[in-house]
Amino acid sequence: MNGQALPLKESMLLGLLSLLLFLGLWTVLTVSGIVPRQFLPTPLEVASRFFQLLTSPFAGATLPTHLAASFKRYAYGVLLAAAVGVPLGLLMGWFRLLDDIVTPIFDGLRFIAPIAWVPFAALWFGTGIGGPIMIIFAGAFPPCLINAYRGARFVEPRLIEAAKMLGTNDTRMIMEVLLPAAVPSIIAGLRVSAGLGWQSLVGAELIVAAAGVGFMMVQAQGSVQTATVMTGMIAIGIVGMIIDVLLRQGEGWLRRRRGLEA
Amino acid sequence: MGSISFSHVDKIFGPQGSGVKALDNINLDIADREFVAIVGPSGCGKTTCLRMVAGFEAASAGEVKVNGKTVTAPGPDRAVVFQQFALFPWKTVRENIDLGLRNKNLPLAERDGLISSALKLMSLESHADAFPHQLSGGMQQRVAIARAYVLDPEVLLMDEPFGALDAQTRVVMQEELVRLARRNPRTVLFITHAVEEAVYLADRVAIMTRRPGRIKEVLDIRSIREAEGWDRHPKIEDVMDLESFVHLRTHIWKTLREEKDFQHV
Amino acid sequence: MLKALAGGLFLGLAPGRKPAIKVATLAALIGLWFLLTTVTGAVTGGRFPSPAEFWTSLVQINTRGYAGAGLVSHALHSVKLVAMGFLVAIATGVPLGLWMGWSRKVEALVNPVFLIIRPIPPLAWIPLAILWLGLGDAAKIMVIWFSAFVPSVINAFTGVRNIDRPVIEAARMLGTPRWRLISEVIAPAASPMIFTGLRLSLQASWTTLVAAELVGALVGVGFVLNMAQQDIYPGMILVGMLTVGLLGWGTTVLLGMAERRALAWNIAARD
Ligand SMILES: Nc1ncnc2c1ncn2[C@@H]1O[C@H](COP(=O)(O)OP(=O)(O)OP(=O)(O)O)[C@@H](O)[C@H]1O
Ligand SMILES: [Mg+2]
Repeated sequence: MNGQALPLKESMLLGLLSLLLFLGLWTVLTVSGIVPRQFLPTPLEVASRFFQLLTSPFAGATLPTHLAASFKRYAYGVLLAAAVGVPLGLLMGWFRLLDDIVTPIFDGLRFIAPIAWVPFAALWFGTGIGGPIMIIFAGAFPPCLINAYRGARFVEPRLIEAAKMLGTNDTRMIMEVLLPAAVPSIIAGLRVSAGLGWQSLVGAELIVAAAGVGFMMVQAQGSVQTATVMTGMIAIGIVGMIIDVLLRQGEGWLRRRRGLEA
Repeated sequence: MGSISFSHVDKIFGPQGSGVKALDNINLDIADREFVAIVGPSGCGKTTCLRMVAGFEAASAGEVKVNGKTVTAPGPDRAVVFQQFALFPWKTVRENIDLGLRNKNLPLAERDGLISSALKLMSLESHADAFPHQLSGGMQQRVAIARAYVLDPEVLLMDEPFGALDAQTRVVMQEELVRLARRNPRTVLFITHAVEEAVYLADRVAIMTRRPGRIKEVLDIRSIREAEGWDRHPKIEDVMDLESFVHLRTHIWKTLREEKDFQHV
Repeated sequence: MLKALAGGLFLGLAPGRKPAIKVATLAALIGLWFLLTTVTGAVTGGRFPSPAEFWTSLVQINTRGYAGAGLVSHALHSVKLVAMGFLVAIATGVPLGLWMGWSRKVEALVNPVFLIIRPIPPLAWIPLAILWLGLGDAAKIMVIWFSAFVPSVINAFTGVRNIDRPVIEAARMLGTPRWRLISEVIAPAASPMIFTGLRLSLQASWTTLVAAELVGALVGVGFVLNMAQQDIYPGMILVGMLTVGLLGWGTTVLLGMAERRALAWNIAARD
């Protein structure tokens, strides 16, 4: 906007400067004692706690074990959301009556924050793996449904006309016209779902769970172990980022394969 | 006062040395209150010339001066009518015209008077409180012109201002511009693809070559127009039938054609 | 991505549905609810409340109160926290986003820190916020601020970056001074994107507040849910959930009204 892009060198320099400022401020705040160590450990302390937790257990397990427990719930929840949301969205995109019936229900439910399902989730499926999965499902489901629906609903009308002219039946129409046409939109929706699912997982584990990173953080909070809480945040951030990068790669690969991008 | 001068102006886009040379040694002096049109093949650098006068682009070599002072930044002394209108969609017609006046810190009463007369001049009175998207393309173009005119700039820079209009609206706008320019002459740099338009409107027409753009020829229209009494004809089509007009138009066409043929050889 | 999401979540899947089918669906749903819980007893009251149980809970919280207060004061408290966190977030996030959009230097300076903080889901800040600020309002406002801040910044930033260059040049050609350029050109030009960000921010605010109140609170709709869960009281859980939905819907409608007012020029242009 204001002028052209900065030269790479300058922008890297500024970036480095800001990271140093961030870490510097953090260090100064803690080392000088302005903020009590108990509430804000130094960056070094957080880092060493992070590596310590890789091997020594806290709240019943090491960090990798907690992460594995979290990821398992997460994967189930997101897969379930995709397995229900995508087909339902496609069907809604083809059958008007289904669309007319589901849309008002969906429109009514979407204003309830997914995390508000926690009490029912715990009541219905317990706090082990079922409850958290349902909450992740609640977070990840809407984008799956919406994007599949939009992808199918807004297919180039000429493609549908051509298929109709060739005498294509409903099943084949959905499987061989709508689904392929909606793939880019579905993939984009899955990526959004994956992000929201990860967010819901954290919420679920903070409230109802007996294992997982969120559980570890709540336990650490209870015993005022700030470094452990921050370790959990970092671990959650890293895993979330890896998931996003992988999905982005997958999306890019798929788009290239279909010739949507050079 | 509003003279413009290009002296030995080069423009290179991209890194110096390996970039694309868009303009090559442009020399052109435009006198105060003179109307100069630039014609040339697409991509020859017409817009770049105008943007340098406006202060949006710096010369790679040479100097662009307005009133003898080197241009460094945009300012309301050089009003621009953009090809794509560039109206503010969130401001009404009146507010669009008002912004430049407010920037000059004029008192409210004076602004109101100026806006009213600008609206009247452009026959926009009944649309003063409409938003741009509620207007036709021709009306939007008139708002863009009014927004520039109302500042009473020393220099008016118009980049294919009628390019997006249909043929009828275009003719009406051309005739309006001629009336305005004769009644209240000011320095105008006018860019167009349309040869007739250039001949009809301008005192002089500069013809540019293909990239890198150079000025190939500058034709004096004004002396012929005055000698032949074009201004006695209020309608553009009558002027276009005059032999002197046809002669000039054909000459410019041929000069431009040479450019294209040269490219193909 | 954010834009697609906002469109899907808030514009409705397909506007202008036939109202008859809507009403029929709703009636069928309520009928089914009645049938399953009351008539056949297929779903027991320990799992999902019957309409009568729901009604009893609703009356109870409104007359005798539940979890320490009536429904209205729980709701008002939650709305107050969301409003405060949301307002602080947009008052800080939108200007920062505009500034980052305007200046490449500011972008280069802020982006790295942003890239570090962004992957951490807002809900993951809750334990830290409680450690720092306790179970009271301040911790909740802090996490809401964190969650609503990011969409505000990103969308304001994108809004500025996507402004048509001629619009900026026209303003500069008219000699517009800096502050007026920002308030009358940059901000309005970016405002459609800014409002997209605000809608996402508002949604994030509610999610975060409910989560934070479920983790630990003394009052608020999330606290009602929390108590109802501990008391294994499905009727009250449903009351809490519907209240959350209703409040989310109401605030979204309010924001939509503000948007329609602020973007009158743009909405008409889109139609
Ligand atoms: N910002 C820029 N960066 C790189 N190249 C540019 C830039 N602006 C213009 N050019 C190049 O400079 C040349 C001249 O462009 P300019 O827009 O001045 O042409 P023009 O004569 O106005 O063309 P048209 O009649 O199509 O409007 C073109 O080859 C164009 O590609
Ligand atoms: Mg041009």
